[in-house]
Amino acid sequence: MKLKLEHHVHARTNCDCVVHRRDFLRVAAATGAAAGMMSWTDGICLSADDLRKRGMACILLWMGGGPSQFETFSPKPDHENGGETKAISTNVPGIQIADTLPHVAKVMDQLAIIRSMTSKEGSHPRASFLLHHGYLPMGGVKFPTLGSQVAHQIGKPAFDLPSFVRIGGRRADAGGAGFLGVDYDPFVLQNPERPPENTQPATRDERYARRLELLERLEADFGSVEGADIVADHRKLIRKSSDMILSPRMGAFDLTDESDSMRDAYGRTQFGAGCLLARRLVEAGVTFVEVNLEGWDTHDDNFNRTAQRNEMIDQPMAQLVTDLRSRGMLERTLVIWMGEFGRTPRINARAGRDHYPRAFNISLAGGGIRGGRVVGETDVGGVEVTERPVTVPDLFRTVYTALGIDADHENMSRIGRPIKLVDGGEVIRELLG
Amino acid sequence: MNLRLGSWYLLVGLGLVAAGSAAAPAIAKPSPSQTARQVDRLLAEEVFSADSELAPRVNDATFLRRVWLDIVGDIPTPEHVTAFLLDPAKDKRQRVVQELVANPQYGQNWARYWRDVILSRRLEDRAAIVANPLVVALREKLNDNQPWDEIAAEFITATGDVKENGATAILVAQDGRTEETTAEISRIFLGIQIQCCQCHDHPYDQWKREQFHELAAFFPRIAVRPVVSPTRRTLEVVADDRPEMRRRANPNAEGRRGEPEHYMPNLDDPAAPGTRMQPKFFLTSADLPFGTRDAERRGTIAEWITRNPWFATALVNRLWAELVGEGFYEPIDDIGPDREPSAPKTVDFLSRSFAESGYNVKWLFRVICATEAYQRESRPRRETDGTPFAANVAQPLRSDQLFNAILTAVDVEEPEAAFNRRGRPAQMMNAYGRAPSIRQAFEVAFGYDPSDPRETVTSSIPQALALMNGARINLAVRAIGDETVLGRLLDEIPEDDALIGELYLRTLSREPTDEELGVALEFCQATKNRSAVFEDLFWALLNSSEFSRRR
Repeated sequence: MKLKLEHHVHARTNCDCVVHRRDFLRVAAATGAAAGMMSWTDGICLSADDLRKRGMACILLWMGGGPSQFETFSPKPDHENGGETKAISTNVPGIQIADTLPHVAKVMDQLAIIRSMTSKEGSHPRASFLLHHGYLPMGGVKFPTLGSQVAHQIGKPAFDLPSFVRIGGRRADAGGAGFLGVDYDPFVLQNPERPPENTQPATRDERYARRLELLERLEADFGSVEGADIVADHRKLIRKSSDMILSPRMGAFDLTDESDSMRDAYGRTQFGAGCLLARRLVEAGVTFVEVNLEGWDTHDDNFNRTAQRNEMIDQPMAQLVTDLRSRGMLERTLVIWMGEFGRTPRINARAGRDHYPRAFNISLAGGGIRGGRVVGETDVGGVEVTERPVTVPDLFRTVYTALGIDADHENMSRIGRPIKLVDGGEVIRELLG
Repeated sequence: MNLRLGSWYLLVGLGLVAAGSAAAPAIAKPSPSQTARQVDRLLAEEVFSADSELAPRVNDATFLRRVWLDIVGDIPTPEHVTAFLLDPAKDKRQRVVQELVANPQYGQNWARYWRDVILSRRLEDRAAIVANPLVVALREKLNDNQPWDEIAAEFITATGDVKENGATAILVAQDGRTEETTAEISRIFLGIQIQCCQCHDHPYDQWKREQFHELAAFFPRIAVRPVVSPTRRTLEVVADDRPEMRRRANPNAEGRRGEPEHYMPNLDDPAAPGTRMQPKFFLTSADLPFGTRDAERRGTIAEWITRNPWFATALVNRLWAELVGEGFYEPIDDIGPDREPSAPKTVDFLSRSFAESGYNVKWLFRVICATEAYQRESRPRRETDGTPFAANVAQPLRSDQLFNAILTAVDVEEPEAAFNRRGRPAQMMNAYGRAPSIRQAFEVAFGYDPSDPRETVTSSIPQALALMNGARINLAVRAIGDETVLGRLLDEIPEDDALIGELYLRTLSREPTDEELGVALEFCQATKNRSAVFEDLFWALLNSSEFSRRR
């Protein structure tokens, strides 16, 4: 029995996928159990920690530009810095958020708010890079972005859709797979309401198959000696690509499958469609989905513009949480709402707020995060963090931990130097159940 | 008199007389082929043994496609291939290399290469506005064969509007930030990655943290500023030579303004001012006093860098790796005294020869392309215990090479930038500050950082899908009257085997093997519709991994 297990472990390490210890344990557990080759206790021992991670997923709602904390999850109606924004009560006694987020207020029991995020980076590119990677950019090292790291760590090895899908967003500082290699690059989709590019076979299925067969046979010469490795990889890639576009799971990209009432519940906006698509993709087995909403850089007319953005996120975000929960997916799906920084407590001459990384807020739900909680506090004017400061490494460590990933795991960068998923930081224990 | 003048010109033409200042004694410059032979001799001496299995010399067709892609970034047309194969001249390989480095496409191809090297590591997206000015300026310099040390010095000392001076590219890409700029200049021109000791002493190298910050002290006065006026919207690189006043709390946090001097942060207390660093070059310990103006700081370090032996080795190693498929040092931009090259005498000889040539880049291309090492057949990348340089290594094409190759294969002119229905450039501006051209859109999908180890550059699903199902490429492989190349060829060439041969020449720049011809003919016979059959074959050849590689 032990030998069998070792065989499976061995087999997984030799296959072309990047497989981690926990992955082949998972595969060994699944295969072994299915074949009735493992005792009941073996199965339990292998999977106790592992089952929890199985199917873990993450949805990042990225608020590009830096949303104002005062107008979202940290209103200060009793202080002049709070401006005209009012606070409303939520379904959790004692927690108030901005009054332009009424739907979100009704799922507050599922959300955690961190009001004491703090960093030093006040420029969009560097801050956006930092909040996507957990590191600042450094010449010579190509850090992987959060989605690529998560896809690499817990993505399913044999899966016919991409493990990491990014919807909207065009900033290079959101990052890609970096040194993890293109297997973990985001599959980027600009418009959630249209199927991804080039996924319609160029010809009828029958002729497509004929072309693929011809291609396979014509690569024999180059593949025999000179490009043996290249052709082998290329054949795999062609198969993976064809498998993907011919996969029945491609239907996950098609929102027309959803009922009108479901579309309405998410809101008929691009961001609403993005959230709905994120849920569909996670349901189909995708590990990480990033949904982008730009426009939070409110240097002028902050109150109206943030209210408009809030209207765009309020219903979709609340519905995403509700929908995941009613499908029993919330426990295994971590939802992160964040941007690159917050905005200044002082309101400028154009009724705007400028960049402010020193004290800002983010919100988390699902994935075992305890809802109905607020972490940290700022002073009465929202200028300084006065309680429980949370740094970016703290946040990343918490995210990885919630997803069952060892945050101290070291990847080998391309220049041969080990780089941890997170450098330093402490888990926010009070958020993890 | 006439006769003597004539023979003087002849000597110059043959490259037997060294170009150089009139005062310097004329040293006979070795010819590229002599130097190439010496390189091969040294490799045989220090790397190969009696039982080394060296890949055979590559055939003419593969050689031609290889040098075309390597030097001018395109594939040869069927006419070029045929002419080359039929040419009986013994020196035709050297000659074609000489012709290609004289072709203006050489400068275009390598200017784009350096654009990718510099901008792949950009900190800010907006730095991409320097992409075009960089390519335009560098293209001319490379075609004029301006010495590499002069080109490097221009990059290091550049100032001004980035749209007018492409040499500002490295500074703009790093947003004028002192430490990042320092790291990139060291990486690109010396091949030494000293930035890892930015925060701590380097784990594997002799450099200390102080030495990185002493190098950074040559660059603190650079600032990259946005210029927004009714008529101009750009970035400019300026030297900030304000006298040293009271220091701000964190001088390294902002790139908008230059700082009079560089301060090494205090690791135990990031809020503290840190240690003021004097400009000092870590390779020679030469230094400049505090208070030196920016122009002198950068002019001096440019001279010190370009006079250093690692400067020649950095380019030799990079070009050798691009052309032969494996560098003497890997990764190609992480070299230096603490690294062990795979062929120390060879790389040393080639680096010295390159320096003695007056940093003549075209000459270096001609040397490497003339070596046996370059002209071997490709084999899969060796394992760590395999013999280096026993074979060439097939390379994935860079985005521009692949784009050119597709255009040449389907015989289509490069499309202009996208325009909207009113005939004006499309509304959406891209990072280049213009309507994105199809080439740029292609680059988003197919571009890679040329400094990355090539074995880590792998193809992605979206890339495969773009080539398999992209609308443009599927239109281009169709047989539509005389509107497409295949339409014309179907008409001109009635014999199936000849048409198969033609499509192989168009795409893979070679004739099919007997086996491939057999497969293709069998495929032709199995389907009635001749147009459809050849569309499928054309599609398959363009989608083959051989097409998108340089074999």
